[in-house]
Amino acid sequence: MSTISDNDLILYFYRDGLDAGRNAEIDAALRSSESLRARYRDLQRTLQAADAAPPVEPDDGFTQRVWQRLEQRIEQASNAPRRDDWRTRLRDLAQSLLSPRLALAATCLVAFAVGIGYYAGRSSATHEASARDSALAARVLDAYVSDHLRATEGLLLTAANSDSSDLHAGNSDLAATLVDSNRLYAAAAARAGNTRLADFLRQLEPVLIDLANQPADASIQSRDGLRDYLRKTDLLFQVRATQARIDNAGKHKT
Amino acid sequence: MANEEERRVAAARRGDRGAFRLLVEAYARMLFTLCVRITRDAALAEDAVQEALFNAWRHIAEFDGRSSFKTWLHRIAVNAALEQMRRNARHESADASAQGDDDDDFLLQRSVDEPGPEQHALGDEIGRHVDDHLARMSVIERTAFVLRHAEGHSIEEISQTLSMNTSASKQAIFRAVRKLRGALQPLR
Repeated sequence: MSTISDNDLILYFYRDGLDAGRNAEIDAALRSSESLRARYRDLQRTLQAADAAPPVEPDDGFTQRVWQRLEQRIEQASNAPRRDDWRTRLRDLAQSLLSPRLALAATCLVAFAVGIGYYAGRSSATHEASARDSALAARVLDAYVSDHLRATEGLLLTAANSDSSDLHAGNSDLAATLVDSNRLYAAAAARAGNTRLADFLRQLEPVLIDLANQPADASIQSRDGLRDYLRKTDLLFQVRATQARIDNAGKHKT
Repeated sequence: MANEEERRVAAARRGDRGAFRLLVEAYARMLFTLCVRITRDAALAEDAVQEALFNAWRHIAEFDGRSSFKTWLHRIAVNAALEQMRRNARHESADASAQGDDDDDFLLQRSVDEPGPEQHALGDEIGRHVDDHLARMSVIERTAFVLRHAEGHSIEEISQTLSMNTSASKQAIFRAVRKLRGALQPLR
């Protein structure tokens, strides 16, 4: 009986994901075993069939249409407020956030953003002091993002596990506040050069928006869809992993 | 050609919209093909291309040339397509869950003959079946499979693009192939 699984054959087909020794074993087994060859032919036909799916081509005006919309957005973006207005916007956001805790976080981020901007702008300050400011600002951001992810984890757990309409209504309110802070933290992380964290937070935003806009009487199907989505994407795991990474990094820094 | 592209990228990094437009014209259709394979929806794919190119413009200063510009754009487009799917969670099929144990072998569970004329005549039908089964895969399964099979990305690259470990990427591909195999069974 062959010890070569179908999964091994798939990796062998692509010559990807197996070490050279395993590939050589499969080579030898294919030469000596007709039943394995038959299974491999079945796999080849299966994968060739994937190429039989009818291709979907864009229409003739596609590229022009994309560029026209893109150019408008680029134009709008280039006219968008610059750094001074960005700090004002952060301050306004801090004042408008619902929770005092989040407002405090946002205020700290204003300080962080100002600190980074000041750091980038001054030429005569010592590098040592600048580095200290920058490190402090990064720690402030980490601490608040960690709290934010903890709140997000709770939100996702409630969304995934509860059928209570009351809990879902409360969850929607919480999600609405988290959308704002999520944007704030993503922007701050991007500004600090932490693109990995910024990208992850941006990935969270559509889910938070969905949850913020989900009615309390959302259908079972709608909730099941979210549960399926959370299960398939490992989003909860990713939230926990990111939070753990931030917490661990914080321990090493202190 | 590569030098020409490098010049365009460098000019776009300096804010030259004309240069960026040439890059858009070179890649937009290719990105659509990639995105529509992931989303299975032309409108979502077009939105994903739009978002991807806008993000590329905004972040082109961060493109460091370690990968090719095409690879960089690909990764942005995959994430844009996934984001479109997240925003449209209804596109996740109810049949997207894994079927059976991922470790069970599934090849040759039914006897398979070499394709005869009648099977060749069924080519269009096979194409439709395959299309249906691709649509029934979860987004992650389909994306991992498309990147590996159609786009030729390595499992390592797929893992980076999808922010998953290599084991999870392999499992997604295994499940996708298993489901694809199911597309052929009714015809045999």
